[in-house]
Amino acid sequence: MSAGGSGGGAAEAIPQNKLIAFGVIAGLVGVYLSHYLVAYVSTAFSFVGGLAAICAIVWGGAAVRRVASYGLGTGVPSIGMLALGMGVVASMFGLAVGGIAGPVIALLSAAIIGLVIGALANRVIGMGIPIMEQSMTEIASAGCLAILGLSAAMTGTFLFDAVLNNVVATGYIAVIFIAGGLAILHPFNANLGPDEKQDRTLMTGVEKGAIAMIIAGIVATTTDGAAATPTILIGLFIWYIAFEQYRKYVDRDAYEVTGVGLLPADEEGSE
Amino acid sequence: MIDIAGILIDNIMFVALITLGGVLISWSVHFVPVGGAPAAMAQATGIGTGTVQLAAGAGLTGLVTAGAMLNATDSLPLILASGAVGAMIMISVTMIVGAWVYVYGVGVPPASAKVDYDPITKYRQDIYVSQGTEGHGIPTVSFVSGVIGGGLGGLGGAMIYYSLVNVTTGLSATNLIGLASIFAVGIFFVNAVIPSYNIGGTIEGFHDPKFKRWPKAVIASLIVTFMCSIVGVLAIGGL
Repeated sequence: MSAGGSGGGAAEAIPQNKLIAFGVIAGLVGVYLSHYLVAYVSTAFSFVGGLAAICAIVWGGAAVRRVASYGLGTGVPSIGMLALGMGVVASMFGLAVGGIAGPVIALLSAAIIGLVIGALANRVIGMGIPIMEQSMTEIASAGCLAILGLSAAMTGTFLFDAVLNNVVATGYIAVIFIAGGLAILHPFNANLGPDEKQDRTLMTGVEKGAIAMIIAGIVATTTDGAAATPTILIGLFIWYIAFEQYRKYVDRDAYEVTGVGLLPADEEGSE
Repeated sequence: MIDIAGILIDNIMFVALITLGGVLISWSVHFVPVGGAPAAMAQATGIGTGTVQLAAGAGLTGLVTAGAMLNATDSLPLILASGAVGAMIMISVTMIVGAWVYVYGVGVPPASAKVDYDPITKYRQDIYVSQGTEGHGIPTVSFVSGVIGGGLGGLGGAMIYYSLVNVTTGLSATNLIGLASIFAVGIFFVNAVIPSYNIGGTIEGFHDPKFKRWPKAVIASLIVTFMCSIVGVLAIGGL
């Protein structure tokens, strides 16, 4: 379903509108919650930012799945890079001008940039995908929230000075760019095909989001505002649960799973 | 609240330069011979990966070389030249190593099925194309086209980075460089993906029929980059 593509929507068990609500609300609330809990309770709560990022990543993965199943005429990875490209521009702008309203402004600007790109893709380039405008808006917003969430997990706040000094100037933003982008583009890219199922794809999103969260936790060891240990431990826990669940889905969807044993130990054994 | 109109008027030239840079990147992608998965199996001409990866590779190399030059001089022509040359070197090296792999590893002669005679060398190509393929390897015309594409992409990337770094701001040098780089990378990726949707899969270079589609992508990029440049200049200029 890569070059050329088949056309037609993807079957879904969870309607996209629920996923949008889940991604926006859980993502935004998580980013704000991590900031206020770190400020007023304990730095240990910076992990909430990682959870927010996972919610946004699952939403982004679902949006990529929906639009990419139409056949983009190019690889699925491009859309993940586009998500983070739009997301990073919008999130840095929102945080820079917004102060405490930063995440909301970032989300709104991401949605506007996404909508414009979606409209241009359909009207000017002529891709003719009916959900292109909506999906691009969703993907840009999800990318933006993933960046905000991971930045909050790294620094314990979304305030621009801390993010600028600890995430942007140090170059960790590149880590967010790649880990977040991969987490959004990879789920559908890894699972696409005739037997692609929504729950399996989204579980891959959770698992990849958890890896991004663990990486954010490792970065948090170098910053003052955030606690690294809870982020890494909770990230590892989520990763393990999600990976086990993903494995179960793979077993469920496979025609048959058989053990073939190990390869023969020596040359003669293989003849 | 920041003085939006004031910042934009002060930096209007940089907004224009960033937009121009985005348009150059979008145009440049059409020159680079992208073959995708078919080329990786030597069933189409070009480099065996997607437009975004190639454009990003060439453009980011251009960004890095332009950044290095920015340490030494403030001269815009020198910075743009180093960005362009950096990206051209990167894409040339990728293509020449790719061509070695095709010729000596896979054992195919570089030939395109889209034109019977190479527009530059005038060598006949159709007799060398394997049946059922769209050509293989990286023919001379694609190589030259790719180098032009790399140059334009690097030029665009350097232009965006130079403009962002020079916006009037109260940021310290380290923070400014970090923020300008990540904005440039973001704008670069957006402008690398838009043309890849225009091309839709593979393109051999400027002799490819799909090359005629470039104005569509350039118009789309113009609008998007203009928005991104305003956002970027406001964010950096407001601090």
